[in-house]
Amino acid sequence: MSAVTIRDLALEFDGSPPVRALDGVDLEIAEGSSLALVGESGSGKSTVASVLGRLQPRSARILRGSVEVAGTDVLALDTPALRRFRRDELAFVAQDPIASLDPTMRIGRQLQLVLQSTGRDASPARRVEMLEAMRIADPERVIPLFPHQVSGGMAQRIAIALALCRRPRLLVADEPTAALDSQVREEVVRLMFDQARALGTTILWLSHDLPAVARWCDDVAVMYAGRVVERGRAADVLGAPVHPYSRALAATDPSRIGEGERLVSIPGAPPVLHGEATGCAFEPRCPLRTDACAHTRPHPVAPRATLCIRTDELRRRVRESEVSA
Amino acid sequence: MSAPVISLDDVSVRFSSGFGPTRRTVRAMDHVSFDIAPGETLGLVGESGSGKSTTGAVVLGLQRPDEGVVRFEGAPLARDLRSRAGRIQAVLQHPRWAVDPRSSVIDAVLEPLLVGARRSPASVAQARRMLDAVGLPASFDQRRPHQLSGGQLQRVSVARALVTRPAFVVFDEAVSALDVSVQAQILNLVQDLQREHAFAALFISHDLAAVRYISHRVAVMRHGRIVELAPTSVFYDSPAHPYSRQLFQELTS
Repeated sequence: MSAVTIRDLALEFDGSPPVRALDGVDLEIAEGSSLALVGESGSGKSTVASVLGRLQPRSARILRGSVEVAGTDVLALDTPALRRFRRDELAFVAQDPIASLDPTMRIGRQLQLVLQSTGRDASPARRVEMLEAMRIADPERVIPLFPHQVSGGMAQRIAIALALCRRPRLLVADEPTAALDSQVREEVVRLMFDQARALGTTILWLSHDLPAVARWCDDVAVMYAGRVVERGRAADVLGAPVHPYSRALAATDPSRIGEGERLVSIPGAPPVLHGEATGCAFEPRCPLRTDACAHTRPHPVAPRATLCIRTDELRRRVRESEVSA
Repeated sequence: MSAPVISLDDVSVRFSSGFGPTRRTVRAMDHVSFDIAPGETLGLVGESGSGKSTTGAVVLGLQRPDEGVVRFEGAPLARDLRSRAGRIQAVLQHPRWAVDPRSSVIDAVLEPLLVGARRSPASVAQARRMLDAVGLPASFDQRRPHQLSGGQLQRVSVARALVTRPAFVVFDEAVSALDVSVQAQILNLVQDLQREHAFAALFISHDLAAVRYISHRVAVMRHGRIVELAPTSVFYDSPAHPYSRQLFQELTS
């Protein structure tokens, strides 16, 4: 069974002209697995994440498509059911850990409130245990502190503890480590994955840290201009990308290149769509474009659901280059 | 090798906090020494609290060392900030905080030039040329910061730092807040501009891959000390200090 199934989801933000943020997203996440959604700013990653809890802003209009999380049709829920669904099935971890905690409340009190809502033990001893599980040294010192008094890494660990203590089905982490430094980053991600796997929670991780994604996630979906352009096993998609955009993205990662090599940045900027893209949205920036690309809307090509009309040709090329390497 | 642009000689900085028996002293910089030559980039890596940003503040002259000497172009760094206005510049992590939200792009880049001179057609042209060099055409001149993306705004801060033709630039986490693809653009931009203008640079970051990419030499800091300082090629291969190995093995695994 899949934890998340999104079919042909299209969404526009009101305005004159309206901005098309999602342009037919297809995405599936298997129960208990982890998927990283990667792409540049403005590609629609966060919009997808918000729709999973129907948390998109009021100015967003869903034009078509369906969103199912753990068998629930999210778009059809009435208000009480939606509230229950958000409480019981979903958890979010945001980018800025200190801003995601309540600044007026001591950490111990915040833990207590969340624990109480689960109907289980919320005693001070249990709170200490929760922090110990997140490898926070000296929890007794941390419990009476306010969020602004702890470091970013510690605040993020507390936010993860809060998110996971209700045993959610799906954890959505929106760049949870972007504000942390590299050593703490590694540790926070490890904790998040260990704890979520122990609970059987499915993880959707929005990130542009490609090396970390390759190390931690089972699957990767690459987003561009409101569509998923390629998805598959993380090692395959990042190691031997087929879609020209995935390739370009992988080439901008400085940890992959050797000494004396030059990074290849993607020229131009991602487009802002005002309606359905008639052709391939990456065409203006694509080094491999042909005349047909501008007016043929690509459809997913198996096995990686690659959105490129030259997929077969490119796959052959990737295989050849792997052989030569 | 030509004379260093900036050199730190046995610099220490201590911070203390608390009062009475709980008073603690932290050595943010512990006998740190290094030189940076013209046209050279020194990368500075280390975890939070290792003293990277204090080092940045010291070389910018914003923090007085408790011991040791900072020399800029051979002479000890003067107390008077105005005496070196425009000679030492900085690019910081958050471009939104670095640029006045009310000022237009061209005015933001012009501002450092107006410290010592009046606005003139020549200075406007100089600012315009710098904006061209960072890839922002004249159509951007009258835009305000909120009309730019993070990457474009970081280009404005790079232009603003380099417009005075500084001898030395400090990049403190300058690409950390940017998207991977924009990050690559800015790193390449800094590399190209350095080739052209031959400024010395201190590139402070916790992003090891970016540091390794842009630097000629890399210094690894821990607990206020430099534990290893070596040419970048060493860090592609096998760093000597166990702590640097631990830091860099993450990249190769």
